[in-house]
Amino acid sequence: MRNHKLARRSVLRGSGVAIALPLLEAMHRSTTAQAAPQNLAPRRLAFFYIPNGVVQTAWNLAEVGKDYQLSPTLKPIESVRENILVVSNLDRIKVAGTDGHAQASTCWLSSAAPDELSPAGYPLKRTIDQIIADKTGSETSFRSLELSCNPYEDNRESIYFDNISWFGHGHVARSLRDPAEVFNRLFRVEEHVNSSSVLDLVMEDAKSLQPRLSKLDQHKLAEYTDAVRTVEQQITRVQQRQDDIAKLNPTTPIKPWQAMRRDEFIQVMGDLMILALQSDLTRVATLMTGPERWGSPLKVEGWFDKPIQHHSWTHGQHNEGIRKQLERVDLFHLEQFVHLVKKMQAINEGDSTLLDNTAFMLGSGLSSGEHHVCNNLPTLIAGRCGGAIQTGQHVRYAEGTPIANLWRSLARAMGVDQKNVGDSTGLINEIS
Amino acid sequence: MTAHPKRPPIYICLAVLAFGLALSLATSEGKEPALTDENGQTKETPAKFFDYHQVRGRQSQRSEQGKLEGELDFSLLGKSRMQGMAPFGPQWSHNAHLLWDGVIGDSMKSSFEVDASGVYDVSIQLTLAGDYGLFRMTLPQSSITKEIDLYSNRVELAPLVVLEDLNLEAGPQAIEFKLIGANEKARKFQNRGYLMGLDFLQLTRKDRKPSSPVTADPTRNTPNTPNTPNSKNKDQAEKPKPANTNEPASFQQLTSQQISAFTKTFCSDCHHADSQETEVDFEISSDGHPWHEDPKLLRQARNELADHEMPPEGSEQPSTEQRNAMVKTLNSMLSDYLQTHQTATPTAMRRMTRYEYNNAVRDLLQLRGDIYPLPEKTLRAFTPYFEPATGHSPRAILVGNRTLGKNQVERQILTGVNPFAIDLQAEGGFNNRGEELGVSPILLESLLRLGRSIVHSPEFDGYCGLTTSLFSSPEQESGNTTHDVAKERIAKLLERAFRTAIDESTINRYHEYLQARHEETNSFRTAMKDVVAAILASPRFVYLAESSTNSNTKLLSGYEIATRLSIFLWSSIPDEALLVAARNGSLLDPEVLDAQTQRMLLDPKCHALTQNFARQWLRLDQLVTAVPDFDRFPRYYSRIGCEQWKFGLQMMVEPLLLFDSIMMEDRSIMLLIDSDYSYRSDELQSWYSEKKPFGNRENRNRFNTNQQRYSKRKLTDRREGGVITSAATMTMTSSPLRTSPITRGAWVATVILNRPPPPPPDTVPPIEADDREIESSGLTLRQRLTQHQSSPQCAACHSQLDPLGFVLENYDAVGRWRTSYTSGLEIDSSGELLGKLKFKDIIEFKDALLQHPEFFMRAFAEHMLAYALGRELTLADEPAVDTILQSTLKTHGQFTTVIRQIVQSRAFRYHVDESTAEEIR
Repeated sequence: MRNHKLARRSVLRGSGVAIALPLLEAMHRSTTAQAAPQNLAPRRLAFFYIPNGVVQTAWNLAEVGKDYQLSPTLKPIESVRENILVVSNLDRIKVAGTDGHAQASTCWLSSAAPDELSPAGYPLKRTIDQIIADKTGSETSFRSLELSCNPYEDNRESIYFDNISWFGHGHVARSLRDPAEVFNRLFRVEEHVNSSSVLDLVMEDAKSLQPRLSKLDQHKLAEYTDAVRTVEQQITRVQQRQDDIAKLNPTTPIKPWQAMRRDEFIQVMGDLMILALQSDLTRVATLMTGPERWGSPLKVEGWFDKPIQHHSWTHGQHNEGIRKQLERVDLFHLEQFVHLVKKMQAINEGDSTLLDNTAFMLGSGLSSGEHHVCNNLPTLIAGRCGGAIQTGQHVRYAEGTPIANLWRSLARAMGVDQKNVGDSTGLINEIS
Repeated sequence: MTAHPKRPPIYICLAVLAFGLALSLATSEGKEPALTDENGQTKETPAKFFDYHQVRGRQSQRSEQGKLEGELDFSLLGKSRMQGMAPFGPQWSHNAHLLWDGVIGDSMKSSFEVDASGVYDVSIQLTLAGDYGLFRMTLPQSSITKEIDLYSNRVELAPLVVLEDLNLEAGPQAIEFKLIGANEKARKFQNRGYLMGLDFLQLTRKDRKPSSPVTADPTRNTPNTPNTPNSKNKDQAEKPKPANTNEPASFQQLTSQQISAFTKTFCSDCHHADSQETEVDFEISSDGHPWHEDPKLLRQARNELADHEMPPEGSEQPSTEQRNAMVKTLNSMLSDYLQTHQTATPTAMRRMTRYEYNNAVRDLLQLRGDIYPLPEKTLRAFTPYFEPATGHSPRAILVGNRTLGKNQVERQILTGVNPFAIDLQAEGGFNNRGEELGVSPILLESLLRLGRSIVHSPEFDGYCGLTTSLFSSPEQESGNTTHDVAKERIAKLLERAFRTAIDESTINRYHEYLQARHEETNSFRTAMKDVVAAILASPRFVYLAESSTNSNTKLLSGYEIATRLSIFLWSSIPDEALLVAARNGSLLDPEVLDAQTQRMLLDPKCHALTQNFARQWLRLDQLVTAVPDFDRFPRYYSRIGCEQWKFGLQMMVEPLLLFDSIMMEDRSIMLLIDSDYSYRSDELQSWYSEKKPFGNRENRNRFNTNQQRYSKRKLTDRREGGVITSAATMTMTSSPLRTSPITRGAWVATVILNRPPPPPPDTVPPIEADDREIESSGLTLRQRLTQHQSSPQCAACHSQLDPLGFVLENYDAVGRWRTSYTSGLEIDSSGELLGKLKFKDIIEFKDALLQHPEFFMRAFAEHMLAYALGRELTLADEPAVDTILQSTLKTHGQFTTVIRQIVQSRAFRYHVDESTAEEIR
């Protein structure tokens, strides 16, 4: 055990790009395996979000079925294609009059019907990850985990560009951007426990405030009281898992994210997400590789000599030179995704792997950034989610199939049977 | 108004006279000496419109009783420079002095400003050191000469040189130190000559008592006092006034027949029920009402008609008289509607932003500074300079850029205390909108942790001003029982923290918690800290809550308006003086409210209006991630191959210091359009004026990345001055390889005119990223863009938007002036503002804005009101904006007028319940 601890430390101190897999397995045995019998490993769901859509011509697959030819952008999935389900032709209905990019991120996971407008003008409801977490969250320390690799320190865009997970309209499940903060939240037990003593007091304050408020403000205050209840439960469960977490004896990543390369940042966040899923600290997670639009140049070391301009390139992609660059951006994201898929695949959970028990989806709220189009959204699902997903194939649905059908199917795979998810009209057949 | 006037008439004066107010300016009370540049030049004032530089609400209180810093308040000429003195000890004022060196026979020549003529005692503080010389000091205007030996074997302050009873005239005073020799023990500096150091010069007025500092006496600036009639009138007084016109309502409203004749002739060809192109119908509106009962449509029609957007080019146009009559009629119909309908808009409860939370905790616990470093607090001064009560903006300001500079963001101030996530700005608005400020579990976790980490940080006891009065064990006090004392302390703290009267049960709850913690920790101090930690996470602290009544609107309570006011002006909670007025209810009296407003505007805490409001209003954060191409603009980066330090860090400071100076001296907001001065570092000046900035500094640290001396410089060229043409704005609205006229146009339309363009369409035709590529085909960027927007649906918006960007084409992608493109193609910067004011270049563009101050003043007032209310403005706010605008026009844009009028407005003083408010957007 002692050796394990040291090795683990060194892993997290380093770049974090590579996780020492056997150790994770060891940790897994010390945590999840005790919590759940081997054959009943919990099902987990995670989302990997790409902003600004993809170059459609380089993404689209010609054939359906098992023996499809990989398109240029999907080349990286070659080695894991048996574990991947590609779905084409899923749509979201766009609402005119509001910003296409803000809608892309904000409305992706809710896929609300277009007439369900929030005050900000977006069709926005409780997103599917939160709907699922309402159930699965009652069994884990944290109900859900929201992560973002947004590297921008400017204030260029509003929250609608920067978050895919929402409790409801106007109530964002704000993502964490700093790996060190994520780490502390997941593993610093005492941070949670120390908070418990004031909860009653602040809850009483909320109650004393409530009757004096207007209806709208009472609704706003409910965010606070809901948060208090969530944190209360969290504290109880974190305490219950205290010994498991203590055995991990993890150490904060030392390198600040500002000093990380782009790929390193995404991988470190991905590692933390995997660690949380694997040790059953949560069963639902969202990971944004970056925010929508945010017209600020970004360095992608090792891939581009000059800072990339992801958003403005999407509007210039009919120019071949720009399109080629943009295809490289897409390829970069696919490689990051596949890297994480392989890490999940290498983590054993009894006779299966973490990947077998997880649905890890890659997608974007826009199919192409060029015209802010929302039909045929890029959609890949890695992992079988405990046998619920028939991977190893490409399926194409009829044009106009709502992506909410996928949300409904994923929810069902996660044990949440809900008829009306967004504007859904049915289910995805390959997910049971 | 005549159509397309070449030189629009100076109708600002007409407007003022029409309102029956004599023109009386703040400056008539005292004389402001002409500002002279360090080079002694002055700017020619254009005579064709009002000179907004005359407006000054506060006179300098400084030099009657003032300390002039050597390194800041004296002109640095020749070999004079600033030297930080902190390594030698803390005794130097502002931790720095003016340093000079020369050989025997050379002179250090400089000057300082005296604001008012009179008899003064002058004390001069010099520095002594081993290589300092023997000087003959001369004040030629006073015929004073004195020899001073600055030698000492240690670096230390010299004995104060005191000159008594000098008659000083207002204006620049020359001072000279001639190096005439050296003490025999002194060693030479660089084997040639000797040094001198000047720390400060102190002026003390002798011939009369120094006037009391500007106080919140509402009668002081009588001509500028906004209307603050007694509350009875005020509550009904805010009648909607005609907008977009500055003439009294002495016109004949069109009859309904005339109106329908107008719409039939000029509108109905396109706007009719069966139209495919438009949803606007001048017969029946979408909700079935007659069109003139739809306020949104009325406003749209009025604006588009007034701005010559409608009827579109190529259609039959009304005559000027017809157009004006219709605009006024629409305006009057809109006013009637707004008067007869319940029109207030609710302000949603919101939590504090992290900026406000920091200030609130700081002020609640009387901390010596911030609790955590905030990169968004851009200006970082090691010695405070923002002192509006002095009525004087310093001649030079030492400041660094916390957002972008090196070593400017401290990693932590209190060990273990970290801010929660940044609050993002709303689209086209500020980061304080209720609907975007929620509390999620993660934020609650942060708040719980924050409260704890603050009070238990190792530095806390030395950092907090309440260490004794709140945290010390109560046994040490006499009279009351220890319980009573503890309860009293808690009650007092809770009132300040929750900004409301505190009931007994709340006090008991917190007291019980104190006792429980006391028992557990065996320490009163620790237990009280736990109480404070809980308060800092309580919803009653973090939410800006207002109580509801079930009526439509209610006047805010004293505590509620106190909170709105302090959050608006200070981004913080009320201080004791404001709480007193809240507690005794006097704050409900508009005059008391106005007096408090003025008092608060003199407090350095209103620096938040620069750091929080102005930064967001100007969208300066966009400079953080601006990346001009490394190869094309290498000098933007501190050295080749190192893109970490960008010159944007100095650019960003310039518009903020202009805003600071307007606040400190209560000048006109029109200086934000065009000012004859600016605060610049030497390097920033070099950026604007030299062909190759920073001289010969190649491939090494080209510019300073830490704090800098920004001195007030007279601008002689009207292409410079104001915020629009600042290098900061020009750089952040460009793309890496070229300017972006559309981004610039959108910035001007949003920030300066508050008419943000609609979101861009989904299909945006792309354009080459590099202007050289465009020019190689023989086209300018403008021609290329115009070519691209030939389709009518593009042209409709772009014909309004693009001229606002093209007028700035003479400023390249990093804000430097150019007369032609690199290929030699000529720049065309001419255009039309709002379809009626023609300009040929940036100077005429600024002139147009100065001749029509109502455009910018309205926009500024709207931005500021939205910030004050923490919500988007709606049509229902138009009457309030009109009232603010009319008062602001009367004082020629005096800064405090805008603020005081906002505070007096109904929207600011009343609470609206959403359940009863009628939705008008």
